[in-house]
Parts: sequence; C-alpha cells; structure tokens
Amino acid sequence: MKLTRRQFNKTAAATVGLAAMSPLHRALADRNDQMNILCWEGYNSDEVLGPFRDANAGATVRAESGTSDPDMINKLRAGEVNVWDLINVNQPWASAQLYPEKLIKPLNKDRFMPYFERMLPEFSGPYPLAFADDGELIGMPQRYGPFSFVVNTDKISRGMAEDQGWKLFLDPGLNQRYGILTYDNWNIMHMCLTGDQNPFDPMDDAGLETFKGTAEAVFAGAKLLTDDLVAMNTALINGEIDAYFTGGTYTASPARLDGATNIRGITPNSGPVDGKGGVVWIELTSAVNNPDPSILAEDFLEFVQDPEICKAVSFAEGTYNPVSQMGDSKVFAQYDEDELDAIQWDSLGEEMARSLDYQVVASYDKLNEIYNAAKRG
Amino acid sequence: MERSDRKIGFLSAVPITVILMLSFTAPLLVVLLFSVMPPKVFTLAHVPDFSSYGVLFSQGYYRSLLWSLGTALAATVLLFLICWPLAFAMAKVFKGFTLFITVAVVITLFVSENIRLFGWVLTLMKGGLIEGHLRAWVGWSFEGALYNVPVIIFGLVYVYFPFMLFPLVQGISMVPDDARQAAADLGATRRQIFWEVDLPLSAPGIVIGSLLTFVLGAGALAESKLLGGQAVIVIADEIETAFTYGQNWPLGSALSIILIIIIGSLAVFGVSRVDLDKIMGRRR
Repeated sequence: MKLTRRQFNKTAAATVGLAAMSPLHRALADRNDQMNILCWEGYNSDEVLGPFRDANAGATVRAESGTSDPDMINKLRAGEVNVWDLINVNQPWASAQLYPEKLIKPLNKDRFMPYFERMLPEFSGPYPLAFADDGELIGMPQRYGPFSFVVNTDKISRGMAEDQGWKLFLDPGLNQRYGILTYDNWNIMHMCLTGDQNPFDPMDDAGLETFKGTAEAVFAGAKLLTDDLVAMNTALINGEIDAYFTGGTYTASPARLDGATNIRGITPNSGPVDGKGGVVWIELTSAVNNPDPSILAEDFLEFVQDPEICKAVSFAEGTYNPVSQMGDSKVFAQYDEDELDAIQWDSLGEEMARSLDYQVVASYDKLNEIYNAAKRG
Repeated sequence: MERSDRKIGFLSAVPITVILMLSFTAPLLVVLLFSVMPPKVFTLAHVPDFSSYGVLFSQGYYRSLLWSLGTALAATVLLFLICWPLAFAMAKVFKGFTLFITVAVVITLFVSENIRLFGWVLTLMKGGLIEGHLRAWVGWSFEGALYNVPVIIFGLVYVYFPFMLFPLVQGISMVPDDARQAAADLGATRRQIFWEVDLPLSAPGIVIGSLLTFVLGAGALAESKLLGGQAVIVIADEIETAFTYGQNWPLGSALSIILIIIIGSLAVFGVSRVDLDKIMGRRR
C-alpha cells in the first residue's frame, strides 16, 4: 500500500486528537465532585452508594471491593493513592502499616469523635485501635465480628465446641472431618492459639518449632481447603465436614439467614492470651492520603453513621455483620429477629469479651513461611 | 519509490510498535526486576540479591511447581486421547454435524470458568446432583468426588477441552485423504496409517493443542481451588499468596519468572518445530 503525505498527516492529527482527550487534563481539575472508595464488599452496594449519590447529585462516586486486606493495601503501595479517597480494611493494618507509610491521613477529630459516644460499649471508649501512636484519629470503626471457628451444632454442640476450643481440631475424632478456610493471616493467628501460643508476641526458635507442629497437624487433619466461604458453608451443611477452621459471624451469617441456624460461629471459652482464645476483627475506614483529596471522603464517612445506612452496610450482599453503631437505639431498631439471630446477637457480647483484638502478628514473616510449607504438605 | 514507501510505512509504524512493546514488556520487566530484589521490599531502589530464587528449594516451592507441571501434563495427555477420535470425526466424517459440535463447544466458553467449575462442585459434592439423587432414589450414600488430585485433573480436562479439540481438528484436516488412501492401497494396516501418515502430518495441530493446554494448565488456579479443595497447592496459588498474604513481591515475582521461563522455553521449542504458516492455511 502506498501512504501519501496527506494520509500520514491525517493519521498523525487523529493520534494527537485522541491524546488530547485522554484523562491528562482531568488531573488538573477539582476532585470535589468525585469520591472513590476501596473497601470490603458492602460499602460498594447500591443500598449504600445509591442514597449517597442522590445526596450528592452530579458527583461521581465509585467503589471497588477487595478480596483481602493485603490485596487492597498493595493497590495503595503500587501508586493508587492518587485514585482512592477512602480505604476500608481491618484494624491492625491502619496503625501498623498504612499510617506509618503515609498511605492514609488523620481524620478531623472535631467532626468524628462525637460519633463514638453512641456506639456499643466495646467501642464508645473510644476504640483504641482507631488511633495512631501519636494520638491522631486514623479510622472510623463500623462492621466487626468475632472470628474463630465454625461448627455444625447438629454434629458438635455449641457448649462442647466452646469448652474444647481450638483443641477440637487436634482431636483424632475430627480427623478429615473439618475444612480450613484459607484466610492465611487469620489461620496463622489461630494456629498459634491452637498451640497455646500468643500470636502477638515475638516468637523464638522453640516457639516456631511448636507452631510448625501445630500447623502440620491442623493441615494433615483437614479434608478440604478453600478461600470461598460459600463452598465451605455448603460442605458444612451437606455433611462433608462438621466444622471449619477460621470463621465466625462473617462467614456463618449468610447460611444462618438462609435458615441453616445449625451453622454457628464459635468463640472458645478460654485461651492462652489473658485467658482469651477468640479473635475479633473490626473494620476501620480511613482517609487515603490522596495528594488531590476530595471533600466527599469525610462526607461519606459521616453519611455511613446514619441509622438506615448503618443497617445497609451491616446487611449488604454476601455477608451480614454487626456494626458498632448498634449501641444507638435508632440503629438497633432497624433489625428484625431473624437478622439478629443471623449475626448471633444472643451471644455477641460474651463472644466479644472472650476475644482478642486482631493485631499485627509479631513474627508474621517467619510464621507465614512455616504455614505455607505446612500447607504444601 | 518503493523504498521511500517502505520507509514511510516503517516510520508511521514506529509509535504503535513502541507502545505495544512497552505494554507487553514493561510489566514483565517490572516483575523481572522485582524478582532479584531483597525480600519484602516494595520499590525497585534496592541492591539486587537474588535471594528469592533460593527459596524455591529451601522452602519446598519446587513441589508446587512440580504439581502444576504434573497435573498440566496429565491433563494434556488425557485431552489428546479424548479429543483425537472426536477431532478426527469432525475433520473427516461428520461434515454438517461438525458445525453443531463447534458451536456447542464454543458456547461453553461464553460462561465464566469459575461458574462452570462451581457447577461441577454442585454436581459432584456430597448431597449434590449425583449423590443427592442416588441417596433419594435408591438409598446409596457415599462421600463426594471432590477434594482430591484426580478431580483437579478432571477440571483441567474439562476447562481446556476446546483448546485441544480445535487445533487437532485443524491439524487432522491438513492430512490429505489421498495420502491415507495411497497408504491403504500400498498395503498399510490401519495402525501403520495412524502412526506413519495421520500423526506426522497432523503434528502441527497436535503441537499447538498440546502447548495451549499445557501452558494454560500449568498456570491454572481455579481447578485446584474450587474442585480440588487445594488437595495440592499449585504454583499459581503460591504466587498469589506471596503477593497478598505474604506481602513479599520479590518472592512472588521470582516464582512467576521461574514459571515464565519454563513455560516460555517449552512454547518457543514447540512453536519452532511446527510450521505455523501451514496450519493457518497460508501458502508461502
């Protein structure tokens, strides 16, 4: 084919035109008409975002849900601080990694401290992990849940499971009768607790050896591994397994709301750390240290404190979870009996009292290596 | 005149070539650079120490690699055995019915792999389509067929079926009927025709089909996760874990590079042995 100079010029002009329409010029524009949130599923649902969009007509509100805390943090590390305005991850990440690495920034205390007063007693203190070491408020708590293990109470009674605690998974009677939900960072904590170790203390060689023994024993006795809570609940309901390692209201609630109330999250009665053996996760929503911030970020954070929106966040698609705002009677009134049963409201308070805060695992790197080697078998 | 035309063509192709080269190679280059960084760093501004490659053996990652390559190989061999008769029929026997099979197989590709695999989970699990019905109708009860190595290979065979079938059909259709008839006239047995005519002449299709299924199978993750209950941990799983829960980008990158090198060399070796122009129906 012959290419005339005219054709060449045309192509070149089109290319330049396309380049001019690229998002480059948007970077210079004001970002107060947009808000992007990186979150666990729920905050990205229409029930939550719809009313916020209505209240901020003309604004572009985008949300993306992640599949794990580290996955979302990777995005910020990879340079997406320019993209996101809010990030919603579990409590240890904000103070241990995001804030020290300047990926998130402090919130306006005058604006947000009053909200703590109406929260459940566990949070109204206010909740300590919402603050950085320098005293700054770095995230607002909302959804939470005890997270230890889940049993089918038709096969293993709640009382027996709570009494036996993590030792249940070392019981020969349960060999090949349980699954492991591969939320790896959780399993590492829970395997420490299974071996009567404190996951939040640095571990010496003897400690690592103990952990290795526990991890190998727990993996050897497992019938299946999956990171899919629906697949795990299905296996539990149809009797392929009687329990699964790592789980709680977050994973059991969808099955419970569907009527399978024999699927129950269990928090051990006792354990190696201050007598506690359970662990609780608490999400913190923090403002990303975006160089070009949007005022809508803090607006949204305030918006999700509204009773109806609290309920929408709590019962969004996928999983159902209690929220710290349930201390406010207007929020609590939003729930019916079945919904309260799905999130195990009857035992929630006592389970919280028996649970440790999910913190940074001191020897995580070494434990993670041992854990993955054990998983490989 | 032709020379200047060629020059203009070359010059106008330069920008898009550069963009394509960058978009193909830049991510790979970043992975390559991260793989030589010290563990647990998140930037490339460190002194390379290659330590992440050492853990392949010291921490047993080679086992996951072998499982991935092993299951992919098993799936490829099985797929060849399963697809050959069907491909032969589609190329030489079925005529109009071939179109029906083609459409039927292609349609499955419209549904996401994960959803199709989850369909198999619901079919094979205890209380699922098979066991549930048998228990209800005739009282037979048995453990489900999930959570083991054979079911992972089954998943690979199921998912990559079209990737073996269509190249084989293409390869077999390249075997001239005359050659087969001539061989038969000259007294060749059916077995001899298969070994000495069909197989060598359809080799390009076999190589392409095997390469596609093996390469995709070696990097597959969903089959072992959904069907296999992670009965074995495959290398793609290890890479994902290293990048996420491990927060060790250099380790994830090193594992990726090792997989890329193995698969890449196989692909280059395979492709260099077949005449791609011929299988695409182009004449030179």
